[in-house]
Amino acid sequence: MSAVAVGPELPPDVDRQLDGLPRAEVAVGILTYNNAATVPAVVDAIRGGLEKHLTGMPAVLINADAGSSDATVERLADSGLPFVRAHHDAPAGQLGAVPFHGVPGRGVAMRLAVGIARRLGVRALLVLEADVTSVTAEWIERLGRPVLDQGADLVMPVHARHRYDGTITNLVLAPLVGALFGRRLHQPLSGPRALSARLLERLATVPRWPEIGRSMTDLWMIGTAIADGLAIHEARLGRWRVESSTRTVDLPTMVAQTLGAVFAVMDGYEDLWLEVPKGPPVPADGPPMVPSNEPVQIDVERMVGAFARGLRDLGTIWEHVLAPDTLGDVLSLEADDVERFRFPDELWARVVYDFALGHHWSVVYRDHLLRSLVPLYLGRTAAFVLATRRDDAATVERALDGVGTAFERQKTYLVDRWR
Amino acid sequence: MKNAARDWYKDAVFYEVHVKAFRDANGDGIGDFAGLIESLDYIQELGVDCLWILPMYPSPLRDDGYDISDFYGIHPSYGTVDDFQKFLDAAHARDLRVIADLVMNHTSDQHPWFQASRLSPTSPYADYYVWNSSDRRFADARIIFVDTEKSNWTLDPMRREYYWHRFFSHQPDLNYDNPAVRSAMLDVMRFWLDRGLDGFRCDAVPYLVEREGTSCENLPETHAILKEVRAVIDQEYGGDRVLLAEANQWPEDVRPYFGDGDEFHMSFHFPLMPRLYLGLRLEDTRPITDIFTHTPPIPPSCQWGLFLRNHDELTLEMVTNEERTFMYYAYAHEPDMKLNLGIRRRLAPLLDGDRRRVELLNCLLLTLPGSPIIYYGDEIGMGDNIYLGDRNGVRTPMQWSRDRNAGFSNVEHGKLYLPVIEDPVYGYEAVNVAAQTRQPSSLLNTMRRLLAARRTSSVFGRGSIEFLRPRNAKVLAFLRRHARETLLIVANLSAAPQPVELDLSAFAGATPIEMLGATAFPAIRTAPYFLSLGPHGFYWFRLERPGDSDEPFGIERTAI
Repeated sequence: MSAVAVGPELPPDVDRQLDGLPRAEVAVGILTYNNAATVPAVVDAIRGGLEKHLTGMPAVLINADAGSSDATVERLADSGLPFVRAHHDAPAGQLGAVPFHGVPGRGVAMRLAVGIARRLGVRALLVLEADVTSVTAEWIERLGRPVLDQGADLVMPVHARHRYDGTITNLVLAPLVGALFGRRLHQPLSGPRALSARLLERLATVPRWPEIGRSMTDLWMIGTAIADGLAIHEARLGRWRVESSTRTVDLPTMVAQTLGAVFAVMDGYEDLWLEVPKGPPVPADGPPMVPSNEPVQIDVERMVGAFARGLRDLGTIWEHVLAPDTLGDVLSLEADDVERFRFPDELWARVVYDFALGHHWSVVYRDHLLRSLVPLYLGRTAAFVLATRRDDAATVERALDGVGTAFERQKTYLVDRWR
Repeated sequence: MKNAARDWYKDAVFYEVHVKAFRDANGDGIGDFAGLIESLDYIQELGVDCLWILPMYPSPLRDDGYDISDFYGIHPSYGTVDDFQKFLDAAHARDLRVIADLVMNHTSDQHPWFQASRLSPTSPYADYYVWNSSDRRFADARIIFVDTEKSNWTLDPMRREYYWHRFFSHQPDLNYDNPAVRSAMLDVMRFWLDRGLDGFRCDAVPYLVEREGTSCENLPETHAILKEVRAVIDQEYGGDRVLLAEANQWPEDVRPYFGDGDEFHMSFHFPLMPRLYLGLRLEDTRPITDIFTHTPPIPPSCQWGLFLRNHDELTLEMVTNEERTFMYYAYAHEPDMKLNLGIRRRLAPLLDGDRRRVELLNCLLLTLPGSPIIYYGDEIGMGDNIYLGDRNGVRTPMQWSRDRNAGFSNVEHGKLYLPVIEDPVYGYEAVNVAAQTRQPSSLLNTMRRLLAARRTSSVFGRGSIEFLRPRNAKVLAFLRRHARETLLIVANLSAAPQPVELDLSAFAGATPIEMLGATAFPAIRTAPYFLSLGPHGFYWFRLERPGDSDEPFGIERTAI
């Protein structure tokens, strides 16, 4: 895995814009790609948050755009805030099939935002997503205050979601990333975040930014902050609603992209996770949130059916990926009786770790490996729904906590086989 | 590469590159391994999986390196064995595999083995080559390089005997009836595999053994030797090194080179390639569909290698005389464009620089059953220079930018190993990587998108093929199936828009998802499915049945 160095240089057109800007203490970064329909709501929330919660604090709006062909940039420029615009190229493949976060070349965009904010000498950089329309003025305060007043260096979001929203995040990403980095985060791949001046300085001078265009920058950023002993907080932001015409809703693609990003970070930055022990809980700021309890139509039977089809069709791939004991345990799961179908946490952790190892050792073509995890993920999700659908919110939370614990406990299994 | 699936080559896209032609790092006008290392990011971003390196060994270069004078070295113009090792490690670090050309059939006449062999019939190397007192043995063997060679025998003035050569007279054939030769060539392979090389593209394999009264091609004795090579490599290197055969033969004659999955892993599908060009020019699918009816099944662990162009002439040995005449008429209107039984032109000029036809042929290359092989420079539409002699016209420096020497080298223009392409249409100022990288709709970026789409499905490399038979013979339509996944490929061979009705009733209820734009098309019903295609347009569809996707689970929109 090669990395690219981050120099102090910014594109010349950005340099010229910075020359004329007034001093700022807060920067708000928006990474965009054809978001003209939704940026007005985001801009309203930013303006409202700055006026109401960060009153009198000079601020600047930074836009890193992947080549929007609509009026995204113009609408941001009309915000009335001091404005810096940066354009970046995106890998052609990502322009054709936009990644799960909706921004082709998000890593480049993030690097630009960090570089600009650092050059401006701001105390905090708040990053928001251009297609998340549930953003409110309070997000500005909840993301910004921990950095400005409480010594936080990285603030990550916690959203109020239905218990069965974010199943990739809750059952795979969060427990895996938590075990790797030693700190549990609820939504490690969610876009909103706040960065301190200290973290900006650190990121801007570290010579190991992920390859241009890869979707692993967000994770690498978290791992770097944790490994450096910087202060990590979470901010309870409330509901999360996205209105995007580009984000994929194809499950295999989402699994491949998100897990692929984690596995790539594992491959390229072993120092960030391999020998990292479990750390203290991450403090969370903001009012307690009530998860949505709206009825959700989940077809558990079909999910178990997809798992069973995976057993039938993907056995030849799983034989290469899963350790014999793991495969044996998976094969012995009772998929014939949906109501009794369960998928133990410890087994699930070993499955995900075997896939990480399979990716690391390239035992099969990596994209096929990632996609072949989908039936297993569906089986695990179905088992989670079956086990918790009659429980209250606190019990569901404890069940998710148990998943995280299993990943932490099994980390030695992963580390022993990694080298 | 730390480890690998044993049959990785079935999913791989190969990229054929000549070291001397790609990038010159030391400023001597000849590309080298250091330059290739600098170019690996580009190759990785293109989206290919494996590099095929043309001959890299010491050689007098009378046949562009296919006349090897030392199997254990690197040609000094390209670097050293250490440089090669650095390149191999750097490629592996990027998840790129590397295979290299190995000429098994013959050596250069400058090889020490031949120099010793010609000294006397009692030399230890006397029987390393095929000698005879007259030039009348093996008279049934055809002459391959008909433009330059009059006989397969040449009299050596020193030994005063004739030596056998199926190619140029400066390339004497090794004598595989001699066990010492077989052992020596296995040692050569071990030398490179020990360094981590992922396999060999084995040059000219049908000709290893000669027998009187035969064509001296595809003999059972040759297959026995090749099986022995495969068994040794499998046993000693864990079974993930690949052997790719160059056997320019009809499919039924190539089929034995796969054995029972115990000979070559891969072989080029030579007859398909000219038929793609024929089908395109005739605006008729039959040349393409017909060749598949003549393509025998191969063992499950084996794979066809598909290509549009390569470093040689576009060979027309595997077509009928009538087809060859038409191909010359259609694609080689100037006599200098012909060479041997082929056409020495690159992909883009063959197709008159027509972007749509270039994309269409690449579409077929990437979707027909087999592992595609892309020839360096064709991904940006590089041109050729038919006046450079032999096949040099398609081996000119890679065009990186508008800078001097196309960004290939900073040497004085006259010191380049071959001049860069400078004509106004295909020259480096018009066609180069730097410009096409910046332009989202460039051929390069289109190729990247096609390759990225291909990577999303194992069907392309592993699936079966089933041609649909629409009434409109200008539209090629076929299904690819593997496990539960089905793809539908539709391609318009015509320069005019075409309608087509497809019988997809077996998929009634399924939704075609166009794979390049992730667009859902109208659902399939029992009635014929209507599509219209623009000139040379094509679609790649994934057929999603209810139950495959279409929000069957209720968790998709909020899964992350």
